[in-house]
Amino acid sequence: RQHLVNTGQTGEVKRATVTEVRERLAWLKRKRVEEKREEVIDLGARIEVAKE
Amino acid sequence: KQWDNDEDVLDAEAVDDTDGLDVEAERAAWKLRELRRVKREREKIEQEEAQIAEIERRKNLTPAERE
Amino acid sequence: MSSHQADAKALLDDRGYSGQLIRGQNPAHLFEKAVRDRITESYYWKEQCFGLNAATLCDRAVELTHIGGTYGLMGKPTPFLCLAFKMLQLVPEKEVVLEYLNWGGDEEDMEGDQVQVDDDEERARRGEFKYLRALAAFYIRLAWEPVEIHKTLEPLLADFRKLKRRTRDGFTLTFMDQFVDDLLTKDRVCATSLWKMPTRMQLEDLELLDPRISPLGDEVEDLDKEDGDGKSMNG
Repeated sequence: RQHLVNTGQTGEVKRATVTEVRERLAWLKRKRVEEKREEVIDLGARIEVAKE
Repeated sequence: KQWDNDEDVLDAEAVDDTDGLDVEAERAAWKLRELRRVKREREKIEQEEAQIAEIERRKNLTPAERE
Repeated sequence: MSSHQADAKALLDDRGYSGQLIRGQNPAHLFEKAVRDRITESYYWKEQCFGLNAATLCDRAVELTHIGGTYGLMGKPTPFLCLAFKMLQLVPEKEVVLEYLNWGGDEEDMEGDQVQVDDDEERARRGEFKYLRALAAFYIRLAWEPVEIHKTLEPLLADFRKLKRRTRDGFTLTFMDQFVDDLLTKDRVCATSLWKMPTRMQLEDLELLDPRISPLGDEVEDLDKEDGDGKSMNG
């Protein structure tokens, strides 16, 4: 039921608290940093491949 | 993303919003914008004050002078 | 109220609207009818904004790549405008909006190799996700009271980060400080008529606001002199 509420399937959405907002932003930030790191690693790997 | 079509993406790439490419130039450009704002606000106050002074001046005129 | 509707039916119900009011009116009416219609007809609204709350809205807002109102011949709404409309539906608590505006990253988590920035810069640069910050600024101008608007938004006049702005037929470059200045001084921004608020001067006369001190400080006079040498300020 809570899941349904969260996904909006009951037509109702639970209001978010400021703590949830803060946590969400921290998570999004970490995700972004992580993705950038992967991009760099990926680029590095491709350069390695190109060298061979 | 469905709400973007290819043309739009090309168009969007023509404008680069990356920060920190030349911090000194970016800061200098900001200073100029900020200075303009400060000046604009000052001018507004001066205009306002001039208006008030003009109203005062007219109030103090004798009926004859007002003609 | 601990929940709200996933869609905008209640918000758009002119007679039956029972949600929070902004300055005595249904918040949706801060946008013009034609714009509201285009928003609720758009894919972005239907597919990306359905069921968002103040936390999940961040997922979309951090992905924004530009600000803007409507564009193209059909006057399509930008994602920025759609999310602003979503905020008018949610009417988030003040502290939530301030979090959007000023969230500066969880510093404890960061590695220790950060460069130390001075105070002004630090304050200006808060708001890790710049388009989220711009969105919050736009919302604040629409939904808050004049004194709060000035006090909350003026510090952003020192944030010179670049913003891409979608216009009717293309994109232009603007800056956070420029956008905030537009919000404070113009009548119309992002396809939206900004409600007429008292001027800063009037608020100062009522002693509700102190005169603004530019972060340029004493530099104003120096720059003023330099600038006076032949160059026109009106350009």
